[in-house]
Amino acid sequence: TDDNDDFLGLNEEVKIAKKRRPVVKLDEDRLLRADGIPKLRTIARSSSVTRKLRMKGKGHEFSDIARLLNFYQLWLDGLFPRAKFADGLQLIEKVGHSKRMQVMRKEWIDEGKPGYIRP
Amino acid sequence: FVKAQTVDPEVRAYVYSLVNALGGSSADEDGRYVLGDDALACLRDLKRWLKLYDEKLNRLDVARCLAEAKLVGGDILPILACWSEDGKNDRVKSRVALACLELLVPLTWPLETAGEMTVNHHRHTPYLQQAQVLYKAGILSWDNCSILRQIVRIGLPSIALPRDERTSRDDGIIKLVLYFLRNVAVIRQIPNLPNQGLDMVVSRSATIDAFVEQDVFALLLTMCSNIGDDFNLQDVVLLEILFNLIKGIDVSKLWLTKLQRADANISELTASLATEKAMERANKKTAPSRHNRFGTMIWVKREDHKTTALSGQENILENKALFNMDKSKKWNKPKTKDKDIQHTIHDFNRFEDITDSATEQLRNFVEEFLDSGFNPLFTHLRKAIEREAERLLDVNYRQFFYGVSWFLEAERTRRTKNKNEKHPANLAQAYTEAESYSLVAAVLNQETFILLNRYMQNALDSKEWQDLNACMRCFTQILLTVQEMAASPLEDDQEIAENIQNRIFYEETTHDRIVGILRGYKDQGFGYLDACTELSHTFLRMLERYSKENADLQIRSKRRARQKKKDAQKEQETQADEQIDEDDSEREDMQEAVKVSKERKFDFNRFANKFCTQQSINTFVAFLNYYKELNNEQLKRAHRFFYRAAFKQDSAVLLYRVDIIALFYRTVTGPDALSPAVPMTKEWTEFTKQLFKKLTRKLDERPELLVEMLFSKINSTTFYLEYGHDKQTTSAV
Repeated sequence: TDDNDDFLGLNEEVKIAKKRRPVVKLDEDRLLRADGIPKLRTIARSSSVTRKLRMKGKGHEFSDIARLLNFYQLWLDGLFPRAKFADGLQLIEKVGHSKRMQVMRKEWIDEGKPGYIRP
Repeated sequence: FVKAQTVDPEVRAYVYSLVNALGGSSADEDGRYVLGDDALACLRDLKRWLKLYDEKLNRLDVARCLAEAKLVGGDILPILACWSEDGKNDRVKSRVALACLELLVPLTWPLETAGEMTVNHHRHTPYLQQAQVLYKAGILSWDNCSILRQIVRIGLPSIALPRDERTSRDDGIIKLVLYFLRNVAVIRQIPNLPNQGLDMVVSRSATIDAFVEQDVFALLLTMCSNIGDDFNLQDVVLLEILFNLIKGIDVSKLWLTKLQRADANISELTASLATEKAMERANKKTAPSRHNRFGTMIWVKREDHKTTALSGQENILENKALFNMDKSKKWNKPKTKDKDIQHTIHDFNRFEDITDSATEQLRNFVEEFLDSGFNPLFTHLRKAIEREAERLLDVNYRQFFYGVSWFLEAERTRRTKNKNEKHPANLAQAYTEAESYSLVAAVLNQETFILLNRYMQNALDSKEWQDLNACMRCFTQILLTVQEMAASPLEDDQEIAENIQNRIFYEETTHDRIVGILRGYKDQGFGYLDACTELSHTFLRMLERYSKENADLQIRSKRRARQKKKDAQKEQETQADEQIDEDDSEREDMQEAVKVSKERKFDFNRFANKFCTQQSINTFVAFLNYYKELNNEQLKRAHRFFYRAAFKQDSAVLLYRVDIIALFYRTVTGPDALSPAVPMTKEWTEFTKQLFKKLTRKLDERPELLVEMLFSKINSTTFYLEYGHDKQTTSAV
């Protein structure tokens, strides 16, 4: 029976290499998820950005900016809860340098221009 | 026994026996030091040991043994101390003294923990550095005798001789004396090593005080002002001594009077107390008003019916909740480790504070040096650098430029001080004579500019940031000096200043280099950041004024003439058959055409636009990140730059980035805001307010910005975001 076992390889212990769970990254795919940049764009498309963010305008410069920054912070926390605000901003900024992102960003801006025809 | 392992026991035995045979304090003569019978031979043997064992085998064993045997404190200094004045003509004693100096110089030689080090070096260097601090303490303050004066005495006979009568031995002695002084100036308590309680005794202030008391400054002045005549090869060592005395000392404090200094100290104290109080108040505002187990728990309701739970009473306050949510996150973005900026002896970015008396002494010395020694020394050095003389080391170049910048600043400070003082009428004549800038003329000539430009370019190309730092400081100071010259009441000065400015601003390569340096900043440390922002600030401002005054300013620009090249190529193609033999000359012409320099009218606006790019803004943002530690002058610099970018050059779009806006916001509100006691705070707050207003308006005008605020802008979209239409590009004809 020994031979048989060997033949089948039953005596050998099967080693299971535990794989580490992949670390979640803030990459292009995550940034382009529905709760990523598209969410910002829906806000941008809906009437007025400042009204949507409940910014008060003249005379409230500092509180308005605080509101804006808070908005970004919550948005970023929803998208990538792992990173602190400042760190997350750096990560995103870096992703923005990739070719794909550059092309998309260009397109987003072009879409807003008058007389834009979708290619 | 541990000691036995560090050094070969046999070596130790030899060295110890020599030290013992040198002499000792005698019971017969009230404990005075008595030389051994063969003391001179012993000293020479020790020197031989240092040379033939340590130096030749590249170890530090003998030096270590000598440190452990306390040779300097126990023997050499007592021997020098008992070389009395009346024993001037005692040949044996003076030879013993010289032999002592010959030992002292290698023992005090600066040790650097850099470069190639063997196991032995690693083992001995920290111990020896500690020992050197003890040596210096002994040298500066020996009980009954001024050691430095004795050392100078050793050199005096050789110094007194006319240059052509000196033998090589005399030159050697002078060199020894100067290097010894250099070593004394260099030694300091190494920050990472255990403190021996000698900080004050070996501090810069103590060094300066001792140099004054024991007439070392007098010797230095004499040599500096006679360089070129009586002295020739000593310029580099003199530079090193000066550099190590002045590095890191704040020039602006030198010319304060005692009262002003006291005032400054007091107001500094009140200012820092006030900042502390403000901080405390800000903290109290947010501190919990109940005990720490009060157990408040709140939910932050977010969109999509999500909630976040937070504990702690302070979260009820506005904004605090989000801040704490952020703070509780454990993950940090891995940082690129800051490059280890070594605090080596060549570093000049470390700030040194000196005592009142030392400040006064140093000021007197600096004034006398400027009056007599500056021009000869720095002219001589410049010539040596141009010749690439062998005695120059790489660091000397850096020391040269740093020295120039420091002394130029000193001269400027002295002038403003003099100007503010009231002079009696009968002194007016003498005063105007001293008014001329000829005292520092040696570094305001074309040769120096060429040297500086070349060296700056070299440092930039080879990424030697410390060298570049020194160059930038030097250039800034030259610009500032020239600016003041232009405002001088003397016509000669004005004319010269006009001339210099014309030459500086004529070359476009200089303009491009300065823009390039500003754009190229990356992790070079705060000192570098400070220098490069100051240079671009000064340069830009002066150029603006100059080009306004001289509306027809011409500059020489080197540009690639592509069109010409193309034409030449076309021509070549069509006439290829006929012109085969003329090919060579054709190629030469083409090379000529590729790099052509032409003069064109200077357009300041175009130049200022070059400054407003994303990279240079990043540099200034990095600078502003230190806002808590910046002084008023530096804050002003940052303010002017951002103001120019946002409101004059229409590049505010580049500032619309969430991290930049967050930084600006932090500087004006919240517990970390700039203290209202800083004069610039008001202007800065006004600026941020305007910018925020502009941003809010922009967000409505161009909602795309909500996304683009996350990124550095792409060139092609910047213009659209700013103006709302694409740039009109004229098609090339």
